[in-house]
Amino acid sequence: MGQLANQTSTQLLAKDMGLTPQSIERRRKIVGLEAQDLVRIDAIKELVSGHVDEFTTLFFDYLSPLDEARPMLSNRTIADRARKLKREHLLAMVQSDYGTAYVEQRLELALLYSKVGLDLRVFLAAFHHLLKGIGAMVMKHHEHAPLEGFAHFMSLKKVAFFDLGLIVDAIVFERERIIRQQQDAIRELSTPVLQIRERLLLLPIIGVIDTHRARLITDSLLKSIRAARAKVVVMDITGVATIDSKVANHLIQTITAARLMGASVIITGLSSDVAQSLVALGIDLAKLNTVGDLQGGMEEAENLLGYRVVPGERTTNGAPETHA
Amino acid sequence: MMVVSTETSIAVECEQDIVTARQKGRELAALVGFSHTDQTLLATAISEVARNIVNYAGIGTIVLSSVEDQGRSGIMIVAQDHGPGIADIELAMRDGFSTGNSLGVGLPGTKRLVDDFELTSTLGVGTTVTLKKWLR
Amino acid sequence: MPVPILKQGEILVASIQAALSDVDLAALRDDLADRVGRLRSRGVVIDVTALDVLDSFATRTIRGIAYTARLRGANTVVVGIQPDVAFAMVQLGLSLDGIATALDLEDGLELLLRTRNDGRVHRN
Repeated sequence: MGQLANQTSTQLLAKDMGLTPQSIERRRKIVGLEAQDLVRIDAIKELVSGHVDEFTTLFFDYLSPLDEARPMLSNRTIADRARKLKREHLLAMVQSDYGTAYVEQRLELALLYSKVGLDLRVFLAAFHHLLKGIGAMVMKHHEHAPLEGFAHFMSLKKVAFFDLGLIVDAIVFERERIIRQQQDAIRELSTPVLQIRERLLLLPIIGVIDTHRARLITDSLLKSIRAARAKVVVMDITGVATIDSKVANHLIQTITAARLMGASVIITGLSSDVAQSLVALGIDLAKLNTVGDLQGGMEEAENLLGYRVVPGERTTNGAPETHA
Repeated sequence: MMVVSTETSIAVECEQDIVTARQKGRELAALVGFSHTDQTLLATAISEVARNIVNYAGIGTIVLSSVEDQGRSGIMIVAQDHGPGIADIELAMRDGFSTGNSLGVGLPGTKRLVDDFELTSTLGVGTTVTLKKWLR
Repeated sequence: MPVPILKQGEILVASIQAALSDVDLAALRDDLADRVGRLRSRGVVIDVTALDVLDSFATRTIRGIAYTARLRGANTVVVGIQPDVAFAMVQLGLSLDGIATALDLEDGLELLLRTRNDGRVHRN
């Protein structure tokens, strides 16, 4: 079950990152991984696989005293999974098959690092330590042919850098994804539609309006009109500093859409600067029902809805009226 | 590289086919994962290009495909006819222009409903309109 | 499939149920124009709640119906345009300028009755 879910999120990430067989091949090319390297890696395959547990331990022993690695290591389940994945990684590194399945394996580990918030610099240091260990063992094994041993190790190092590229990209991508999600959340938060009275909505617009935000505003307004059965919408644009023709068109589209649904739109808070620029831009103001300030707009709206505001009789202490 | 998987091809000859085309388009858009709002935008776009076929060329086809490109997925609509073709594409793409009996929003309006819009036309040979919309 | 037209007092209600062909829409226009005259109707409600697409053609036809009805002495209110449909219409560049709209049938009828009393349609 969990396995399946992981599989899917890894595949999704690969898709989101645009990791196609072609782009993976490109990545292999960038680190210079060639057929010759595969032969050399094959020569040290037994050596690395034979000591895989030792190397895995090397990686985690390096991490364990570091505070920055605590989030990953303090949780037993996560630590065990990381250890298992790292062991699989080391075994796969010498299998000479660096295609989609290998890449997805790397992403799975990257997702884990990213979830526990493992610092990249910590990961890099531990990975370097691990490579040093492998290097030392390879060299020791080729005591009598050091040049050959070095060549073998350098071929494996290409794979290591192929891996690093993937892990770093994936962690950065995940981080950017969070930023994107937060931006979306802020955008949505910044376009509240408030119900003031029965069938009356207030839409305060604050800040910069781009095409995307204009779409969100229109979308949420239209849905609110239906949900609240609104007849009148007061759109307050006091918080919009500048309006160019593009923004003006967005606003007019929003108003037109609201009208199509049967709601009247009253615009308030049009500063004299904005009004002048609208005139200068040649925007058709005849289409807009504008009222100077928010208070006036609300009065106009209540009037349209047939409400009449009457001051009530004051009954509290200190009221001006006294009984004779 | 873009991967195209063709889902449906609809022969457009009469008004009923316009309705069929946009219903199929909406179904595919839902399958690809588009929101209800985007499904409506796509169905409206299909309606417009299918209407153009019926009005100007008489018969044609609409091919609906799902597409994958650089990790993003979307939908592609190709409307093709062998009608008279469009003499002045630039003029046809100008808001408010229409030779037929429409509101003159047809092609430029359709362009606003999608992300990618491509129009090729040769006089006496026919017209192809390709629309793409991507999941955000 | 023809559109059923219901008579409710001085008002005619046409509920468009499914996507219509040009022929159906033209028939609806003629049918309404005929009945407005014959039944001396003062208002027409066109209910498009069931429509999931209003393209430029459908919009033009509805506009035509409204203008025809007005020449025959009845005001038209278009009701039930769904949020997504309204959104697509404005993206496409369509509007129903000069034609009254209302959220639903109930609001549309109310609007026409109010018009009847003060003699004009409130256009928003």
